[in-house]
Amino acid sequence: MNEYDEKWEDRINALIDGELSPSDAELLKAQASDDRELARAIIEAYQLQQAMDAIRVERAPDSLRKRLRAIPRTHRSGPVFSLLQPRWAMALAAIPLVIITVSLMRPDTPSASEIAQARQDMALAFAYLDKAGVITGHQIEETVGQTMADAVTDSVNQAIKSQTLNSQEKET
Amino acid sequence: MSRKYRQWVKDYQDQAWTVARYILKDAEEAEDATQEAFVKLWDNRDNVDPDRVRAWLMKVTRNGCLDRLRRRRDNVEFDESYMAGEVSGPMQDAEATETGAWLKQAIAGLKEPYRSLVVLRDVNQHSYEEVAGMLELNLAQVKTYLHRARKQLRERLAEVRP
Repeated sequence: MNEYDEKWEDRINALIDGELSPSDAELLKAQASDDRELARAIIEAYQLQQAMDAIRVERAPDSLRKRLRAIPRTHRSGPVFSLLQPRWAMALAAIPLVIITVSLMRPDTPSASEIAQARQDMALAFAYLDKAGVITGHQIEETVGQTMADAVTDSVNQAIKSQTLNSQEKET
Repeated sequence: MSRKYRQWVKDYQDQAWTVARYILKDAEEAEDATQEAFVKLWDNRDNVDPDRVRAWLMKVTRNGCLDRLRRRRDNVEFDESYMAGEVSGPMQDAEATETGAWLKQAIAGLKEPYRSLVVLRDVNQHSYEEVAGMLELNLAQVKTYLHRARKQLRERLAEVRP
C-alpha cells in the first residue's frame, strides 16, 4: 500500500465508520467526483459495509449454550468455601499434629508420688529382664551345645568312613 | 455471582462463539475454545472488572483460539470448506445470500491479526478502543491494520461482483 492509498484509506474508513465531520465528508465526495479511482474505492467500501451488515454475530449452537450454563455446576474452583478443598483438608490434618507437638514441648515436673511409682516400675522391669536373661542364656547354651556336638560327631564319623574305605582299596 | 455469570453468558456467548468460529474454522473446536474462555471467566469472576468483561472475554477467547491454531500448526490459510452448511440458526438466512457466504469465507481467509480485527470491529461491532485493548495494539495500529484488511476484502468483493 503506497502513501496515496494510506491517505485515502484513512478517510474512506473514517467516512464508513461515521467519524468524518460533515465538512470533511463533503470535501471527500467532491474530490471523488474528480478522481475515478477514489470514487470507486468509496463505492466498494459502502458495498462491503452492506455485505458486513448481512453477517452479524452468529448465534451460538444450543449444545454450546448448555455447556456454558453448566459451568458453575461443573467448575467449582472459584472462591467457594469447602472443607473438601485441599488447603482446608491440609489445615484440618495439621491441627492434631500441632496439639501433639505442643504437648510434647510443654515443661513437665513430676510429683513425688509419680517418681516413686516410676522407681517401682523400673525395679519390676529390671527384675523381669534379669529373669528373662537367665532363661534365654540357658536356651542359647542348649542350642549351641547340641549344634556343636552334632558338628563334631558328623565330622568324626565321616573321617572314620573315609579311612575304612582307603584301607579296603589298598587291600584289594 | 452465579446470576451475574449467567447474564454474561446470555450477553456475550454469541460474540465469543463468532470470534472462535471465524478464527478456528471448525465448529467443534470453536465450541471447546468458547467453553474454555467462559470457564476462565467463571474462575476469574471476582477479579474481572465488570465494566470490561466483554473486552476481557473476547481477548481470552481470541488468545485461546490462536493457541489452538499454533498447536494445530494450521496457519490460517484460506479454507474453502469453511461454513459449508455447518452453521445453524437465524444467520442461515444471511448466509443464503451469495455475498454473505462469500464474505464469510473471505474473512476467514484473512491472515492474523486482520481477521480478528474485522471480526471484532465489523462483525461484533466493538469500538476501536475495545479492539485495541483486546489485541494489545495501539489505536493507530488498529486502524491501519483494519483499513488494510477492509481494502483486501473490498478488492476481492469487487472481483467477484459483476
